[in-house]
Amino acid sequence: MNSLRSLLWLAATLPLVTPAQDKVNPEARVQEDFRKRVTDYVAVHKAARSEVKGLKPTKSPGEIGRYEHLLAHRIRERREHAVAGAIFTPEISTEFRRLAGIALQGSAGTRVQQSLNRAEPVRMPRLKVNGIYPEGVPLQSTPPSFLANLPQLPPEVEYRVVGHDLVLRDVDANLIVDLIPNLVP
Amino acid sequence: MGAATGLDLKLPMKPKSVRFAVIGDSGTGQTGQFQVAEMMAKYREAVGFDFVIMLGDNIYGGKSPSDFKRKFEDPYSTLLNDGVKFYASLGNHDDPNERLYKPFNMDGKRYYTFTRANVAFFALDSNYMDPTQLDWVTQQLKQSNSTWKICFFHHPLYTHARFHGPDVDLRKLLEPVLIQNGVRVVFSGHEHVYERLRPQHGIDYFVLGNAGELRPHNLKPSGETARGFDTDQTFQLVEISGDQLYFQTISRSGKTVDEGTLDAGKKSLTETVSPIAQRLNKAAAWLNHLLSRAMVGASSLRTAMVTASCPREILRRCPVPVASRSDSARWFAEFRLITSAGGSVKDLSWTAVNPAPINNSAAAFVPHGGTSECEKVGEMGRSLSAVPYPAASFITSG
Repeated sequence: MNSLRSLLWLAATLPLVTPAQDKVNPEARVQEDFRKRVTDYVAVHKAARSEVKGLKPTKSPGEIGRYEHLLAHRIRERREHAVAGAIFTPEISTEFRRLAGIALQGSAGTRVQQSLNRAEPVRMPRLKVNGIYPEGVPLQSTPPSFLANLPQLPPEVEYRVVGHDLVLRDVDANLIVDLIPNLVP
Repeated sequence: MGAATGLDLKLPMKPKSVRFAVIGDSGTGQTGQFQVAEMMAKYREAVGFDFVIMLGDNIYGGKSPSDFKRKFEDPYSTLLNDGVKFYASLGNHDDPNERLYKPFNMDGKRYYTFTRANVAFFALDSNYMDPTQLDWVTQQLKQSNSTWKICFFHHPLYTHARFHGPDVDLRKLLEPVLIQNGVRVVFSGHEHVYERLRPQHGIDYFVLGNAGELRPHNLKPSGETARGFDTDQTFQLVEISGDQLYFQTISRSGKTVDEGTLDAGKKSLTETVSPIAQRLNKAAAWLNHLLSRAMVGASSLRTAMVTASCPREILRRCPVPVASRSDSARWFAEFRLITSAGGSVKDLSWTAVNPAPINNSAAAFVPHGGTSECEKVGEMGRSLSAVPYPAASFITSG
């Protein structure tokens, strides 16, 4: 009898447990995947940085340039086979397009678009993963509302809109980590 | 002192005052920049300012050591040799790693603050105003009890220069923070003209992006423009003594193109202008007032419309989980949502106890119980017309 009761109880509670699992928002799961990939990249960045030693403020612009190049070189060595889509997988790219779409909707979207247009939009050949953001080319500013709608990043990397593309850029190494083509209309 | 040196000095030169110079969009390495720098050095002898704030685009083009020399070290060599400190903010033409260049005094940071006597300065990176920076500046401004809170960054929130125009998205998010936390003066560059705006919500805005670059005849003044100048390069001198801020904007050739006084408490501007100009200003101010009233009405309407049309999905968008921990029986997830709407910023933080862990990941939770905390914030967000912060790793129910 007790076993039967236990079985009945289990049968009654199972549906309650399952929907709780069903409540998982698939978009959040994709974003969690993105966060994990970024964390993995940051681990690579930190390992590379430990080899070149962090740079303190210096009077020598040459030293800053050398640090930037050396760090980029060390990261490239560790990500030799990195290709576009390693972080922005197709699934993550789709999610980013959805988030960007939300940011670009309605009157707020008009505002964001206006800010993008007024930020001296950069036009140049598409950047390559593991490549350098070209020296002397302005970094287009990214509207705050647009940034606020994307998953937050650790300080080692940042988002940049370059033309129509969204670029994930290594701040210290000035390196293109990954990109989503044609994210911005 | 001004007459003795042949300079047209308008500052009162009060004892123990804070004195500094302002330059923006300076780093061209061209003749105009050198001539402005030369004029600055002349005025420095009379005024004795000991620091300069830079409004971005400090080094245009290449970033090699010779670029830094030609576009910064050489033009300002007299000032640098005299021990004048330069405090830079980043423009869109700057490499963010300029923060590591010691003479820019950024201490390796994209945004930072420093204080002189009763004046607190906040250098921001308007190229990349992410939630972290917005949060930082909110906290720093809140903590500051200086008489004068001055922000400087590259992209102007208000301007009537035609090339770029104001950054309206930046204004939407940053302006409420500035207003709510007692910022009195904002300096920006980006537009290669000089413009002083009439106070906007109690804040005086200066655009000075012509200390090296110049875009002649690009300014189209409106009722909001208090003074504009777009036919030559300029720099500005500022003196702060107690509750008074005195400014004088000087062209490359030494002509004073603007001057005036701001009051910390009254938030009003006293200009040195002729009676006719005063009448014209009054008329413009009255027109501006009417326009502002009309715009406030439009703004409320827009907010209401945004609120009504805001997709449910956005309203369910949840705040960012900032930390998580557990003990033997419970999970704790701490969340934070910063909303900005209707001229005010709200920072909401709370802890959800016992959210159900998903996939054994401490970073992702479904809120426990039928009505999730997330939905509750969604309600708050709805009433505030919140600027949504993305779900990040937060898992919403429903």
